[in-house]
Amino acid sequence: MEELIKYGEKFFDELEIAIYRTKSTGVSIELNEISMAIVKTRALTVIRGITDKKLGLAVVDSADKGDVKKGIEQAYRMAKLNSRDEKWVSLPEPDKYHEPFKPNEELKEASPDNLVDMAVRGITLAREKDPNAIVAGGGGGIEWEESHVLNSHGIDVFQEGGAAYIYFELVGRKGGSVTPGIVDFDAKRNLDLDVEGVIERSIQKVQWAYNVRPSKNEEVPIVIGPWAIAGLLSFALFPAFSGEKLVKETTPLGDKVGQQIASEIISIADDPFHELSIAPVIADGEGVPTRRNELIRNGIFQGFVWDNYWAKIKGVKSTGNGIRDLRSGGVSIGFHNMVIENGRKSLDDMIAEIEHGYFVDGFQGAHSSNPDNGNFAVTANPAFLIENGEVVGSSVFLIAGNIYDLLKQAYEVSKELTVMPVMQTVITPYIAFENVKIAGK
Amino acid sequence: MEALEKALDWADSNLKAEYIELRYENLRKTTLALKDGVFTSFTGKLHQGVAIRVLADGAWGFSSTNRLDNLEKAIEEAHKLAMAAARTKKEKIQLAEIKPVKDFVKSRMKVKPREVDIEEKVKHLNELEKLLKEDSAVKSVQVRYEDGSGEKILLTNEGTHIKWDYNYLYQGTYVTGKADGKLAMARDSIGAVDYGWELMTEHEPNEKVTERLLRKMHSQLKGVAPKRGEWPIVAGPIVVGIIAHEALGHLAEADLTINSPFKDLIGKQIAPEYVTMSERYVEGGFGNDRYDDEGVPVKDIHIIENGILKEIMLNREYAHKWGMSPNGHARAENYTYPPIIRMRNTIFEPGDHSFEELIEDIKFGYYVVDFRGGQAQLNSAFQVGIQEGYVIRNGEIAESIRDTSITGVAIEALKKISAVGKDFGLEVGFCGKGQTAFVSSGGPHMKFEGGILIG
Repeated sequence: MEELIKYGEKFFDELEIAIYRTKSTGVSIELNEISMAIVKTRALTVIRGITDKKLGLAVVDSADKGDVKKGIEQAYRMAKLNSRDEKWVSLPEPDKYHEPFKPNEELKEASPDNLVDMAVRGITLAREKDPNAIVAGGGGGIEWEESHVLNSHGIDVFQEGGAAYIYFELVGRKGGSVTPGIVDFDAKRNLDLDVEGVIERSIQKVQWAYNVRPSKNEEVPIVIGPWAIAGLLSFALFPAFSGEKLVKETTPLGDKVGQQIASEIISIADDPFHELSIAPVIADGEGVPTRRNELIRNGIFQGFVWDNYWAKIKGVKSTGNGIRDLRSGGVSIGFHNMVIENGRKSLDDMIAEIEHGYFVDGFQGAHSSNPDNGNFAVTANPAFLIENGEVVGSSVFLIAGNIYDLLKQAYEVSKELTVMPVMQTVITPYIAFENVKIAGK
Repeated sequence: MEALEKALDWADSNLKAEYIELRYENLRKTTLALKDGVFTSFTGKLHQGVAIRVLADGAWGFSSTNRLDNLEKAIEEAHKLAMAAARTKKEKIQLAEIKPVKDFVKSRMKVKPREVDIEEKVKHLNELEKLLKEDSAVKSVQVRYEDGSGEKILLTNEGTHIKWDYNYLYQGTYVTGKADGKLAMARDSIGAVDYGWELMTEHEPNEKVTERLLRKMHSQLKGVAPKRGEWPIVAGPIVVGIIAHEALGHLAEADLTINSPFKDLIGKQIAPEYVTMSERYVEGGFGNDRYDDEGVPVKDIHIIENGILKEIMLNREYAHKWGMSPNGHARAENYTYPPIIRMRNTIFEPGDHSFEELIEDIKFGYYVVDFRGGQAQLNSAFQVGIQEGYVIRNGEIAESIRDTSITGVAIEALKKISAVGKDFGLEVGFCGKGQTAFVSSGGPHMKFEGGILIG
């Protein structure tokens, strides 16, 4: 590898080589059956070089030395054509890493048979519990990744690890009504996935969804579930934590460090080392040590996250939040494992305390939220009506508002934590909000 | 390619399989990302690998690899996976018969992306940013450009041998604006598989893109919050298109139809007779192709014809299940994915009303022009974020609205279509269904007398 860095130094003032070797094994489920078993192996190398403050990148579908050398030459051709980035400072320097986490080797060589068995078990269980339910879709997978990031300043970090996941999408058909797709997940760093729990939760929601109830315009307490929370916050809130947005003045949090931006029960951190983390990385995409970054503590905004590029422009230290996009090879600010702290009450108790309100499982349209001001307009679907402390049916309604107003209305977080491996991983409890304005139909 | 043919011959003689398919891709891609004057991605990409799909004992196995030196092993692996899945199968998968095709698919591009110097591409992106930033309200501009050029080869043990001269280009632009302490965001996307660099110079020059983006951004900066509720709505081609795609199109993908309300509605009247929705070739369509990734010729279909739900999108597996003919909708994002049923260009067909006729009788309602994101459920409940919209007051377009979304149940909203415009517009984009596909959607302006909630 050093040989490749040396070769690259002939062309560039600084360069970085990141090699990824991945193996993903998976099964997909369609209509109560396994529709396909899949294995993908891939080697991919990203070269990022800078000459005379000009950036050049190459992505090569290979890790062979000869191909990487060609990639270096390609990146150099790109750099020569690029214009100077006067803001460029330098690639990151070596630093001290957290003790590496022991990878779970069983995932490296796991056979697809494990996944086939889990999928069949889930399908059978769902059909037994509710013959009107169809396992419309779903899948299970085992992802293994080895990454090696090196640069000409001496960064040389190798990481390996894997995770397994399973999800089922259930649709119920009863008396001419079709329920919305009900999805539930489990993801862990081992093969001990909770298939029974996933099916149990999904079937419960399918049962609720058969009984469709109208909704109206009103102000009610709502409990928002992990899937909906992860979706909404990922689009409406998390991007506002980016240091790049601070520099560019496109975050509404620019002058809010140390201020209350959410209810005091809300604490959020990007914590790759959390016990439920499915990717406990010790280095980010450009080899900078990762760490636990507090973002909101008891409702008070703690600060921004940075990658190497924007940190150096601002004159601060990278927080280890450089995430590499393997499509373009570029690095930008992102998150590893967003954790919303849990509380003491169970979801059941939270529902039991609501006289009239809703439990929202999914939001449609969270991705059209505006992170530059926190405004969002989403459809709660599936949403479940709560009357006198019990779920009595399902409904659909619209919530339009601002994420910072909503976060101030939070009054309870559940003790249950769920891992949601969507976009970036979000580990979240169920969160209850009071006086939420909804537009019913 | 000799290695592919050799490996296929070996597999055909050594493995017990009903069907073996190899799909090879070799593309050179360029990705440029310009963020406020700085190219954060300036990437050349060599993308090469093989997708292998094997149907054995009535079940599918799939493997993908970018090592071309041992394809036999990868085929064997896919075969093994198929056998593992087969032990769970109650109903064996069968494929609808097709005539094997031998063909070379030429590109229709005038100027292929690989023939354009990178300097030209850089100049084009810089110019777009400069034009946008001439507006003092624009605070941040991000342009993402990607193109790809190369070959794709499909080989099957049934004798299909298709080679594509495969090319595409895409540009997505995001603008953040600020005025009077308010922030607003607007996005725009253009892309093509049949137009080459002429897309940027003739069809969608920077001036046109800039004009559109600034209009969308200012409409939000000046916008007022809409009155929540069910009002008459006139939807423009782009919004009509996203409803066609998200809320109705997905239900007509055979693998999803089976769990959707469409299953029991085929052959029935589900919309007024002046409503027709198609999946078809469109000039400039991002989903255009001659064959799909199973080697099936792409056919135009009417999902809804004169209000009657008629046809659905099929691959060979579902065509056999439904006793129909496959129509060319099996598509894979790239060699790391198996083909699945996807849309191409989903559109409502034009009718005969002018735009003025659509709005003239509306005392109070909304005109929704463009969206920020859309999503739908299998029961056709949809949610579309609106990035450009206006109030309609006394038959005229009035002030703009901001941070709005529309929601409804499409099979209900269809019944509320009261008039169909005679114009037509198209937008290109990406559809995600576990993997990404280039798609277009569009149609004429359409009027909904209720059925859509705005808020």
